[in-house]
Amino acid sequence: MIELQDVTVRFGQLRALARVSLSVAAHQVTGLVGESGSGKSTLLRVMAGLICPSEGQALFRGEPIAPERHRSLAFHRQVQMLLQDAPGSLSPRMTVRRLLAEPARIHGLPQTRDCEPLGEAIQGPPAPPPALDPLFKRLAMTKRTKDQPIHDPILRRLGLGESVLDRYPHQLSGGQARRVAVARALSLNPALLLADEPTAGLDVSVQGELLNLLLEQHQAGLTVLVSSHNLNVIRRISQQTVVMYLAEIVETAPTAALFAAPAHPYTAALLSANPALDPSRRRPRIALSGDIPGILHPPPGCRFHTRCFQVQDRCRTEPPALRPLLDGRTVRCHFPLIAPP
Amino acid sequence: MIQIQSLTATAGRAHILRGVDLRIESGRILGVVGESGSGKSTLALALLRLLPGVTLGGRITMDETELLALSEPAMAAWRGRKIAMIFQDPATALNPLFTIGTQLTDVLRRRGLTRREARRQAEQALRRVEIADPAQRLHAYPHQLSGGMRQRVMIAMALASEPDVLLADEPTTALDATVEAGIMALFDRLRTEFHGSILFISHQLGLVAQFCDDIAVMYAGAVLEHGPAAALCAAPKHPYTAALIACELEDDGPIVTIQGDVPDPTDTPPGCLFAARCPLAEPRCAEKQPVRQLAWQVACWKAS
Repeated sequence: MIELQDVTVRFGQLRALARVSLSVAAHQVTGLVGESGSGKSTLLRVMAGLICPSEGQALFRGEPIAPERHRSLAFHRQVQMLLQDAPGSLSPRMTVRRLLAEPARIHGLPQTRDCEPLGEAIQGPPAPPPALDPLFKRLAMTKRTKDQPIHDPILRRLGLGESVLDRYPHQLSGGQARRVAVARALSLNPALLLADEPTAGLDVSVQGELLNLLLEQHQAGLTVLVSSHNLNVIRRISQQTVVMYLAEIVETAPTAALFAAPAHPYTAALLSANPALDPSRRRPRIALSGDIPGILHPPPGCRFHTRCFQVQDRCRTEPPALRPLLDGRTVRCHFPLIAPP
Repeated sequence: MIQIQSLTATAGRAHILRGVDLRIESGRILGVVGESGSGKSTLALALLRLLPGVTLGGRITMDETELLALSEPAMAAWRGRKIAMIFQDPATALNPLFTIGTQLTDVLRRRGLTRREARRQAEQALRRVEIADPAQRLHAYPHQLSGGMRQRVMIAMALASEPDVLLADEPTTALDATVEAGIMALFDRLRTEFHGSILFISHQLGLVAQFCDDIAVMYAGAVLEHGPAAALCAAPKHPYTAALIACELEDDGPIVTIQGDVPDPTDTPPGCLFAARCPLAEPRCAEKQPVRQLAWQVACWKAS
């Protein structure tokens, strides 16, 4: 569905992505984990066409993603992105009602009633819109009043009631803003959803609703790439997991296999840092030495060697390549925790 | 030891705390969990009386002193000295204009130490929180330190005054997972040296379950359940606690959600605060506030 080939992204001196290759199959949920500065957001932005790779290329359905001025609206209709800063991604001058109608307006889709495209998104392929003569259509739009009830299942499921529709973004809580952003992204019925930390700042009770919605959309054919700090979220909703560290991919694996037995020491440390309620699920905590090195001056050799608990001389000088292991995994480590074939 | 009795906080018509009863013995760690707006941070700030515009009611007793009855200058002497706080975001809690050495010695000099002695102890305080080259680091400004390092400095500052009560409000939320693990390992080590009480606030139930002795679950400004950490997580007695645990996504099976909304802070429902969203609710839940049972405090009619 979407593929990165040796993509490097430079911001001046800084390499935010260093020769990243990744291929995401259609109808899959891929989870992206890693700490701040690891390049997750940059990777998603390259896929959304918001950042052009400095080297390498990004392909969507086999076609290179064109630079912005040559790109068609159709691309953006198929590839939707949820930005990490959801409140900041909503125009402060629009009400929620207008924000929800905006994607359909931009893409020239019918918007006979408030947000009806949203309702269709959840029920699969949209029914042909009723033919409206232009005057009636305009009337229908101007007659939108506060008391008009909203019948949208997605909005209701996301807990966005009628009372929210006439508010401006600054009047929303962080969680509500995020839910508005989700509703907007899904309203176009995209093929690929790039979700950058969609559950950050959400309370756990609302988080479940959002995840269920994503899973349902996935079952209806949506391909999802989701980054999260919450490993339980990734474990529960993704089939494939990609682990990043300092602008590189260090491990990719089927999610179940990765959580059962991590191959890269960094993945192991990350999993051990995931607090568990059930004592039987707790892994012995691997306390890494030091902090994450600055990305401006990544360590030579293996980028993880300054914090690795099993570092050897070779790691300090020779950068490991991403190489395949058993069962569809790849790992960037000279001494992976599970044996290579 | 600190005892909180029927603590209320109201701002205008909004009830931020609705009668909180808690007690933390010396040497114990109480974890406070709850979703945003449940009143966790307000509880911590109420203990410091740092809530301008908010009216506090009830009692907070520490060493037989009633904190809410103290004069403002007397309370100021308690702050940072007997009760210290670690804030969520170390980047904004530290003053960017002064070196961390200056900020640390300021805290120590409140204890009446000489400048030289304060300097020496500041160095020790940094060593205690596992900062390498402490003598050098004292000259660093906050922006020259990483997030994890800054939080270590905050912890060093809070402990430097040897407080009786330490309040930690989401101390690792702003940090990355592996850095958080390092800070939690530090807390684990420090708890053996620290003999006061700790109030540890977090929205991460898993973190609290691993670190704390007891857990208080807050909802809409009230404590719904309060009990020993391991037992409470293994067999929650309040439906809200059970729902929160299910939402942690540790178990497989359908992803759980809690339907409905948190009650409006300006509302004072006559019954249980969670009744409107509770899967087990029956008529009396909406009519009458459940009575707490004392051994393991659960505010629910259905708990047995």
